[in-house]
Amino acid sequence: MNRVELQAMAETERNRQKAFQCRFLCCVGTPCLSAGGGVVQEALKQAIAVQGLDATVEVVGAGCMGPCSRGPLVRVLPAGGEEAIYEHMTPEKAGALVEAFAGPGCSSFPEESRISSDSPFFGKQVKIVLSGSGRVDPDRLESCVAEGAYTALAHALREMTPEEVCQEVVRSGLRGRGGAGYPTGVKWNLMRKAQGERKIVVANGDEGDPGAYMDRTLMESDPHRVLEGMALAAYAVGADQGYVYVRGEYPLAAQRIQRAIQAAERQGLLGNRILESRFNFRVDVRMGAGAFVCGEETALMASIMGRRGQPVPRPPYPAQRGLWGLPTLINNVETFGNIAPIIQHGGEWYAGYGTEKSRGTKVFALAGKVSWTGLIEVPLGITLREIVFDIGGGIPGGRSFKAAQTGGPSGGCIPAAHLDTPMDYESLQELGSIMGSGGLIVMDDRSCMPDVAKFFMEFCMDESCGKCAPCRGGTVQMVRLLQRITDGGAAPEDLEQLKELCLLLKETSLCGLGQTAPNPVLSTLRHFREEYDAHIREGRCPAGVCDLSGNSME
Amino acid sequence: MPKLTIDDLEIEVPPGTKVIDAAEQLGIMIPRFCYLKELGPAGACRMCAVKFLQGPFKGVQMSCMVDAQDGMVVSTNDPEAVAFRKQVIEWLMLNHPHDCPVCDEGGQCLLQDETVSGGHGLRRYLGRKRTYRDQYLGPFIAHEMNRCIHCYRCSRFYQEYAGYRDLGPLQIADRVYFGRFKDGPLESPFSGNLVDICPTGVYTDKTARFRVRHWDLERAPSLCIHCSLGCHTVANARYREVVRIEGRSSGKVNAGFLCDRGRFGFGYAAHPERPRNAKIAAQNVPMSAAVREAGRRLLEIRESSGAEAIAVLGSGRSCLETLGMVQHLSRVGKWTAPDFFENPQMERKVKAIVSQLDARLAVSLRDVEKADCILAIGVDPVNEAPMLALAMRQAFRKDAKVVVVDPRPIFLPMRFEHLAVSSARIETLLQVLLQVLRQTDLAAPPAPLPQPIQLSEGLLSEVAFDSSVQAQFHALVETLVGSRNPVILCGSGVVGESVSSLAADCAEVLQNAKGKGGIFYVLPSANAFGAALLASSPEHSFLDTVEGIENGTIQALVVVESDPLRHFPDGPRLQAALTKLQFLLVLDYLPSETVRRADIFLPTCTLFEVGGSFINQQGRLQAAEKVHAVGTPIHQATDEAMRSARGEEGGGKHPPRMYDLGIPGGEPKAAWEVLDALMEALVPVAEGTWREDPWEVLKQEIPLLASWNGRGYPADGLHVVPEKRPGAAVALPLETEAHTSPSEASLQLLLVDWTFGTEELSQYAAVMRQVEGEPFLCMHPQDAERCGLAHGDALEVRLEEGSIRASLKVRENMACGVMVLPRHGRIQWQELRNLSGRVPFECIQKISTDTQVIEDLR
Repeated sequence: MNRVELQAMAETERNRQKAFQCRFLCCVGTPCLSAGGGVVQEALKQAIAVQGLDATVEVVGAGCMGPCSRGPLVRVLPAGGEEAIYEHMTPEKAGALVEAFAGPGCSSFPEESRISSDSPFFGKQVKIVLSGSGRVDPDRLESCVAEGAYTALAHALREMTPEEVCQEVVRSGLRGRGGAGYPTGVKWNLMRKAQGERKIVVANGDEGDPGAYMDRTLMESDPHRVLEGMALAAYAVGADQGYVYVRGEYPLAAQRIQRAIQAAERQGLLGNRILESRFNFRVDVRMGAGAFVCGEETALMASIMGRRGQPVPRPPYPAQRGLWGLPTLINNVETFGNIAPIIQHGGEWYAGYGTEKSRGTKVFALAGKVSWTGLIEVPLGITLREIVFDIGGGIPGGRSFKAAQTGGPSGGCIPAAHLDTPMDYESLQELGSIMGSGGLIVMDDRSCMPDVAKFFMEFCMDESCGKCAPCRGGTVQMVRLLQRITDGGAAPEDLEQLKELCLLLKETSLCGLGQTAPNPVLSTLRHFREEYDAHIREGRCPAGVCDLSGNSME
Repeated sequence: MPKLTIDDLEIEVPPGTKVIDAAEQLGIMIPRFCYLKELGPAGACRMCAVKFLQGPFKGVQMSCMVDAQDGMVVSTNDPEAVAFRKQVIEWLMLNHPHDCPVCDEGGQCLLQDETVSGGHGLRRYLGRKRTYRDQYLGPFIAHEMNRCIHCYRCSRFYQEYAGYRDLGPLQIADRVYFGRFKDGPLESPFSGNLVDICPTGVYTDKTARFRVRHWDLERAPSLCIHCSLGCHTVANARYREVVRIEGRSSGKVNAGFLCDRGRFGFGYAAHPERPRNAKIAAQNVPMSAAVREAGRRLLEIRESSGAEAIAVLGSGRSCLETLGMVQHLSRVGKWTAPDFFENPQMERKVKAIVSQLDARLAVSLRDVEKADCILAIGVDPVNEAPMLALAMRQAFRKDAKVVVVDPRPIFLPMRFEHLAVSSARIETLLQVLLQVLRQTDLAAPPAPLPQPIQLSEGLLSEVAFDSSVQAQFHALVETLVGSRNPVILCGSGVVGESVSSLAADCAEVLQNAKGKGGIFYVLPSANAFGAALLASSPEHSFLDTVEGIENGTIQALVVVESDPLRHFPDGPRLQAALTKLQFLLVLDYLPSETVRRADIFLPTCTLFEVGGSFINQQGRLQAAEKVHAVGTPIHQATDEAMRSARGEEGGGKHPPRMYDLGIPGGEPKAAWEVLDALMEALVPVAEGTWREDPWEVLKQEIPLLASWNGRGYPADGLHVVPEKRPGAAVALPLETEAHTSPSEASLQLLLVDWTFGTEELSQYAAVMRQVEGEPFLCMHPQDAERCGLAHGDALEVRLEEGSIRASLKVRENMACGVMVLPRHGRIQWQELRNLSGRVPFECIQKISTDTQVIEDLR
């Protein structure tokens, strides 16, 4: 396929879609499917078949629409009219919906279960990475192409040199969305200059943080967006092989990516001589086996090579000596999701969003004690207050906001006093947390902070790869100390030992997992010291979560 | 060269040196668990933390991970680093069971040492200890996972260094488990090294379990004599018995590791049936009486039939001192020239090999590790000289290409190219290779190499090789031409006599062009090199002696530490010959069949009891020291005394208290001492030229040693090869005879060595029974099909007088037209009379696949 054919394909698909009187887009992301989305989709199809509307009404699967806790969600697109999203769909409601839109010129939307389109949940979001999610059918290449997939690649292959692609990314100010926030353009430039027989591009989709599912959603909802980003990266750095490393717990994402690769290869959008250029790029999927540490790039590479997923010391960095000794570019899936829009609209357009040092938008998985949970994409620099109270709709049940946890087990807690902090890499770091991959857990006054710290510490203890002593042994010791605190058996010197261990782990662990494992403890100690003291000195849990009688102690 | 300061001491080290090694050179031993120089850094234990005060790194860093750089100032005893290391010890000790009193590692345990020296004495962690289930890992290694501190040395050695996959880390976090997927013997023949490298008692020597404490051991540097490599060992003895062998690092031979045959094969020395008394007609007598009587009998024969009627046979398992004395005795006594090889064919091959080696061409085992291209000709490293496979693997890990030309089913713990051609074809291939190499400009090879390939194509088509072998051969030529440091390995077991010189010629051509590389031979026994140096008469072999016995010209045979009944290829013939002898005198320490047939037997000492010098296959003269006193192991003596006192088994082993049972002064002596005494009885002192010091004798017998002062080896031994070998062989015309035609209904019989179960000495070690497996033979699928046989069939091979039974293994990775039979100790392969070397199809019969019959075979 060449560029003209690509445009033709998009045109044909758009015309095909326009021919329908009404289109039902059913979310087929994991959250909606697990809430019964599959049944709803079937019910819709059946209702249409019963009424003999196959020619005028279409039911398709689409990706994530955002408010995941309200699923199954269905987006209705009547011809020419405005659109609407319906929440908590059931097969019964589906039938009613078809009735409502069956006739010609359906102008009136049934109000039952309809999510108001001017809801603040959508108002403050800016969808760049997720622009296609919830609109395209992830299993149909044509549907994605109709929404503009691979046009950026076609443009770059024809109009831009690899240097220019790198420069565009540098101009965009995009930083790695995996957590550390290393400037993507800089990384690509280094990689472009690296010497190697061959080069490899890897998309890191090993998203292990509790509560985070940005990468999964992107892979499930708009896989071609990720593949296009990877292809652009490969073109920019001179790679001809790519791997998408998908977490073992994401079978659906792996399946969608795999199908997308096949479809794209069939059409010459991946593989050899892409879009009839001289650029070759093959992509393969590699599945993890359930280890959190495989999100760490050296462990991830070991896993791709079929070895035990354990980190090795850097340097050498992957860009110098990566997979099988070849220079390897590793970016997060979400990072790749940003590339096509950047190439399409230009780096400066992208840099228009966000703050000076943190450009663009970021996807967060908003979870915990907020009215609207789900997947959101916001410009960086937005305040935590806007996310929690505007987008999230505030704390349900009239409770008060206590803290927001960002960055998963490597991050920390932001207390209410810092609600107006802009969400960007530097500000979060100053508060002792990190941007992380985008997990955002809101806690109300019923959360006990030492207990939260213990939860994350237990997670790190279980997920340590077991290679270096600080992470393997230190986490066990810290969990034990936190256990004593939440059980009421702790002495003041235990807190000292805890702090000492935090610092040692931070300084001496082999990889990022161990180095950041103490962050939840350190940040809660910093912002909620009084809660620890209440547990240790007064024998009470302010949030009323812990049983301090010591009964639960082994 | 970077110059850095460690604890106020300055040192300059080569670039790439780790700080931990730089400190070691200064005598500062930074604590470590995971770091081992051979394995490289892992960064797992975090024990080697030091503080970097100045330079490119700052703060507490792991000294094993950081390359020494100019201007670094490092403190190993900075309070911060010390406190951190103390904390690391605390982490490592969280789950350690503190079972030192029942742990074999106690007393030589790195964890004990570091815990005490690190100052962690107070337990703060009050949680439960994590426990594991241990695994059965075979007869060599005991497994106690609870003691593990997760340093990853075992898995890194086992998987990365040695290249075997069946032991490794399982699980994650503090549940990491080092073991196998399920219980079972370890597959690697290098598993014993786990004992040496484990810093605590997870892997301990099962054969030595609960027998000794480290501080009670008598230890001495020794050598491994279970193959020709001569690896350096430390022998550990207690109560006049070796209980354990450890590896010892050597600059030229082994990097501190050993194979399991060398480590666990020492059981022959304390074999319960080891003959420790001199015997006349199977009756115990004092040593002096036996020597006198032997002298008398020999003099008698000399009187009656002349001195040439006395022949003497030594072997390559004796130390050089003994061999020298054999030679000396034979010369002074004017006997028939001595033989040092039981197998005449082998003698010719070894002599040919020894004549090829010179100081420039001969590479050491450690040099093999540095090669970038290895061509192995007629050598099966894992089975013949296991440590060679380990050295090859190290080269492979640095991207060396490995090519093996051998008819046998070769396994190596690495990727390699195998040209499975018959023994005869190896010679042809080498001739072609030599011609190609000689006609190619190796110093500046043409880039796409059309010329050498064309050349080899032309030559190969002349000699009718099939196309797959041709393709492999072209790849080999390409690799060799493009290499920088090519090493050729050459065996002696299955290849013809001319192969060694052809291989040396190839190596020489390559070395002349590249300035590097060389040749590495593998010989059949520990001191085969020394034996070949001494075997002066090139014409005479043991076959002549056997003929002499048969026609009556030889009437007395003196056998010194040799078992011709085991090694001589025609068993029935030798047995018949021995009955014709008037007098058979045997000196040995093994309970062999030859010993049982001796008219007079004189006991000798093992390497551990007297020490000795050996020349390894590279021509490196190395010495083993005496480890323990001569005599019956005290446990055995106590047992025996108890048995005779009470008439029952055991019941009084502890405390061991019986010190001797035999005739005072009757203990075995070093073979050369016994020979010396014999000489005294034979040759009147006045006319004799014997001397007490065997080294004086040796200097007379071996010209290469003449200028040497006789004592005090350098650590890496003395390389006793000439400066320059006599000269390249003349190019022979290519053998153009066609490949053994498939219609020919016979197979070439190859008697081969196997890692366990075929080597003479280790066969006497009881533990080897458990690993040697059942006798088997290997055939190519095509041959098996033509004989109507299948994998797993029980076979009987019947030739003339004898027959053997073994099960069949069908292997695709071997040459056609060949039957490979390991010389398993439990089959009488000597009865096959392998002088012709061919087995007709009709002689191979399937006996039954019935399980009962197979049971009977066992």
